Amino acid sequence: MEGILFPRGVVAGQEGLEEYRARGGYEALVRAVKTTPEAIIKEVSDAALRGRGGAGFPTGKKWSLTRERPEQPRYLVLNGGEDEPGSKKDRLLMENLPHLVIEGVIIAAYAVGANKAYLYVNANYETAIKSTTDALAEAKAAGYWGKAVLGDSFNLDIELIPAPHNYVAGEDTAVLEVIEGKKAWPRQKPPFPVTVGLFGKPTAVNNVETLANVALIILHGAEWYRSFGTPDSSGTMIFSLNDDVNRPGIYELPFGTPLRHLIEECGGGIKGDKKIKAIMPAAPSSAYLPADKIDTPLDHNSMREAGSSLGCGVVHLVGEGTCVVEDVLKASEFFAAESCGQCPACRMETNTLTTLLKKLQQGQGGRPILEQFGKVIAFNKGKGFCNLIAMPGPPIESALKLFPGDFEAHLATGKCPVN
Amino acid sequence: MKRLCLVCQNIDCKTRGSDKLMAELEKKVAAKGLTDVEVKPYMCFGACQEGPNVVLYPEKSWYAGVKADDLDEITEHLAGGPHVQRLDTIDSSLKELIYQLLDTGVF
Repeated sequence: MEGILFPRGVVAGQEGLEEYRARGGYEALVRAVKTTPEAIIKEVSDAALRGRGGAGFPTGKKWSLTRERPEQPRYLVLNGGEDEPGSKKDRLLMENLPHLVIEGVIIAAYAVGANKAYLYVNANYETAIKSTTDALAEAKAAGYWGKAVLGDSFNLDIELIPAPHNYVAGEDTAVLEVIEGKKAWPRQKPPFPVTVGLFGKPTAVNNVETLANVALIILHGAEWYRSFGTPDSSGTMIFSLNDDVNRPGIYELPFGTPLRHLIEECGGGIKGDKKIKAIMPAAPSSAYLPADKIDTPLDHNSMREAGSSLGCGVVHLVGEGTCVVEDVLKASEFFAAESCGQCPACRMETNTLTTLLKKLQQGQGGRPILEQFGKVIAFNKGKGFCNLIAMPGPPIESALKLFPGDFEAHLATGKCPVN
Repeated sequence: MKRLCLVCQNIDCKTRGSDKLMAELEKKVAAKGLTDVEVKPYMCFGACQEGPNVVLYPEKSWYAGVKADDLDEITEHLAGGPHVQRLDTIDSSLKELIYQLLDTGVF
């Protein structure tokens, strides 16, 4: 199908200003500045837009929480850190549709009452930085941002900040630290950025894909937007498929599309003519689903009911003939390596879980080792500043529950049952 | 297997000087001729607020809030001397969690 964000398909190149305007580009902004910020927030709330960075928080709610704060100034931050392994959606949006993203940024800033917006873009994304910089210049020359946007009293300055390329640098409070010129270390929450954000002021931090939806909502209305997806998850979502499938790529689908459609029709099925053993819908931090959950609709509620989550849409497949112990060890090692080192509990948990998995992989520790994972995860629950500490748990605990045979085989022989 | 004297090297313990304590312990253990004891770094016993933490294994003695002045007594314990009761302040449920981990070979 054609998407709503990528109407021309995801492979078309960078869209220039004239091309964007020819299909209604910046008309949403023209409408926005003629109405009130409250009306914009209401439209986005009515559209039930949810954040696409992983947590799925309602965007209209985030904006109203920011706007209702009395402190000035307020800030808007576009989070294009995109450090999840295998996620390419935000990069592609910024590379191909920079004006759609920028129009969303301007409308969002208007809605929350921010006169300064920061575009936080992964420093490795050279093409995205270039196309965003080009588009910013075009949009400024056309009067879409700067002093007196479109003749209105609204002033907006926009600045692009290159983001360091490590996992926690995409966490919203780490983003704020980097913009303030500090190390990419998450802050303790609460307070949340909507209350105490950039330079201590109310700040809305929104993912790139989230803001790419905003101009379309304002242009076509909340009702039109809700005609895509499900009541719980409106609109479309961009999914990333990697080397697990025959046709890796990014695919925009309405929420509620069965997982099977993404894997089989879009991705061309799992690579190597194998059967699917497990599916991780939000790699690397979600619970595995067994293969018989392949018809689960891709929306927040359905995924939660199935026992996993949607995250930011990086879908990972494990084929028959692959050992889940080996697969989950990679995820665990990733979190141990990416733990920023700020919170002792996170270092303790991510390192201990990885050591436990390695011992088990080598057949050490005996049966009691199987009980240690849950104890370590429970001990560290609720500790740590950011969510990284909660991430190794779902993959490990679901792997233990769904594929105990793989763990038993390692314990019994000290070898992988597959390799 | 050698007996272990595990010294936490996670952030909190380290900021309270656990790296120096570990180096000192190594010297004292060597000076006593305790060739069956290995002094080793450990990634966190989960009692950060009460560090620096030192755990003797397989004896399962946990010493918290260890200072340089305590090291002679800990070395004496390793050499067969008495348990240092005043440093044994950690809650038993946390001890159980960590001892179970150590029993599975996580060190």
